[in-house]
Amino acid sequence: MIDLTDIHVDGPAGPLLRKTSLSLAAGERVGIVGESGSGKTLLALSMMGMVSDQLTVGGAISVEGRDMTNAVEADWRHLRARRLSMVFQEPMSALNPLRRVGDTVAAPLIRHQGYTREQARARALSLFEETGITDPERRLSQYPHQLSGGQRQRVLIALALACDPALLIADEPTSALDAEVALRITDLLVRLSRERNMALLFISHDLAAVSRTTERIIVMYGGDIMETGPTRAIMQAPHHPYTKGLLAARPKLWAPILSTHGKRRLPTIPGSVPPPQDLPRGCRFAGRCPVEMAHCATERPALIHTATGTAACHRQTADGAGGQS
Amino acid sequence: MTYFIVRRAAGFLLTLFVVSIIVFTVMNVLPGDPALTILGIDATEDARAALRERLGLNDPVVLRYLRWAIAALQGDFGVSYSFGVPVAELVGERLPLTFALAIAGTIVTIATALFLGISAAARHGRSGDWAIMLFSQMGIAIPAFWLSMLLVLLFAVKLQWLPPGGFPGWDDPMAALRALVLPTVALALVQAAVLARVTRSAALEVMRQDFVRTAQATGFSPRRVLWGHVLPNALVPIVTIVGLQFASLVTGTIVIENVFYLPGLGRLLFQSIGNRDLITVQALVMLFSVFVVTANFIVDIAYVLIDPRLREGRA
Repeated sequence: MIDLTDIHVDGPAGPLLRKTSLSLAAGERVGIVGESGSGKTLLALSMMGMVSDQLTVGGAISVEGRDMTNAVEADWRHLRARRLSMVFQEPMSALNPLRRVGDTVAAPLIRHQGYTREQARARALSLFEETGITDPERRLSQYPHQLSGGQRQRVLIALALACDPALLIADEPTSALDAEVALRITDLLVRLSRERNMALLFISHDLAAVSRTTERIIVMYGGDIMETGPTRAIMQAPHHPYTKGLLAARPKLWAPILSTHGKRRLPTIPGSVPPPQDLPRGCRFAGRCPVEMAHCATERPALIHTATGTAACHRQTADGAGGQS
Repeated sequence: MTYFIVRRAAGFLLTLFVVSIIVFTVMNVLPGDPALTILGIDATEDARAALRERLGLNDPVVLRYLRWAIAALQGDFGVSYSFGVPVAELVGERLPLTFALAIAGTIVTIATALFLGISAAARHGRSGDWAIMLFSQMGIAIPAFWLSMLLVLLFAVKLQWLPPGGFPGWDDPMAALRALVLPTVALALVQAAVLARVTRSAALEVMRQDFVRTAQATGFSPRRVLWGHVLPNALVPIVTIVGLQFASLVTGTIVIENVFYLPGLGRLLFQSIGNRDLITVQALVMLFSVFVVTANFIVDIAYVLIDPRLREGRA
């Protein structure tokens, strides 16, 4: 239902998101995994037409067959009011503190869909029920500060559902929540996506959360796609060295973890993400990659097909099996 | 909520009590013999002593305070030393004009400042923002009395659109309004310039917050986001400054009424000080204090009306 072709975003200091293509089918659940600065939020914002006007966006985008490449702000607003929705990371600050949450959810219904106040209130109540908000009737007239983090995130999801979206983008929806509450929220998102045949784009740095939620994963690093593929395949047999590093860096309860020093330690990817202007011109992961080759830092690898998906790694072409680390 | 209002009301009354003591004390330690003011320098010492006795000026200070305060609560501020008529009458004739001026000044200040401040914030860093901030910088720098003269020169003398000063009375409301336009603008412009800056920075602060992005993501237009989400959340600092500015507006009427020859309380205060009419000055200073303390009481109530988070607080 949404197709992005060669979308890229440039900032004053250089490219922030490299040419990226991505399609979501109706009802499909896709995850984007990456560290902060990997461009995952920028990619999501470009799908909402909400990239800051200090940055320049290029490439083609179409939503439900409608070409939005040269769309003006009003066209995007029309889509955001009806077909596209987004839930943000911080449930604490993402709700207007001066408004009753019921009014916040009712506002777009009244404004965009011509509901009366009573109809909007009834619809908000049923959305609260659908998103599993406890004591929904009473919550309608409460203020955000009177709700817990999990309840607030549910209110934001209810707000996102108010327009019956064809696509819901959830940008780190669980990162600010307790582990148990986070699990319930991811389950809720999956259930809503299934019941409503609504596409879900789940963005997170947490591989475990993404793997629970999605059918397909896109791994991003430094404003570029590293690897794509079915969730199960990525989790079991990653092709890209960066994905392998991410998977290895997950805490495991069931195995002792041995570092090179023989101590029990969590493996990490050495180094840290350089600032955008210092990223290598070739593969973005060059400099931190354990299986780097001479031309990696200067030549950008293309996304090529693997057994299960695609990966952008020179090792894929060099030895046909990805980096043997 | 009720508890909060009761507490604030108690604080309001306590403040007025303390202010009344200060005003009374200051006025009574000032040099100057009321008897001399009333009878003139040719009166005999015996006559002045008799008058002091009749006015109760020889009584203990606490008794005099209580007598003044209780009478004032009943609307009796004594008889003016210089005009020879009850102070309440003098004040009653002039209050509507000053009150109208102060209220109109406040409304124009708020309306101008919100419009300019929010517009500037919406154009943050672009030319519109710079233009508005330059304008407001000029507004802050220009003294009100000088601006008044410029306004009179332009709109009254050159263009002859509005009267240069004086007040025709309330019998002809149109003429009264026309007479108030220039004084209101002169009074409000400086305050609006200050408040526009406060509004702009408060709005920019709010625009960084996540709920603004949420509102955008639900398809609301920038205008609706600004006025429906940003402005309400910027109101607490704005209202604080408005409360402080009201004091400047009220005292500003003293200058403005003199520049425009308006027969209001400010002009009366000016005349009374010149005439050493202490009892009138005392009543007027008290009255101005009541205005300012009341405005701040209203601001305190406004906080809890604006922000639900302050309602259950202990504040």
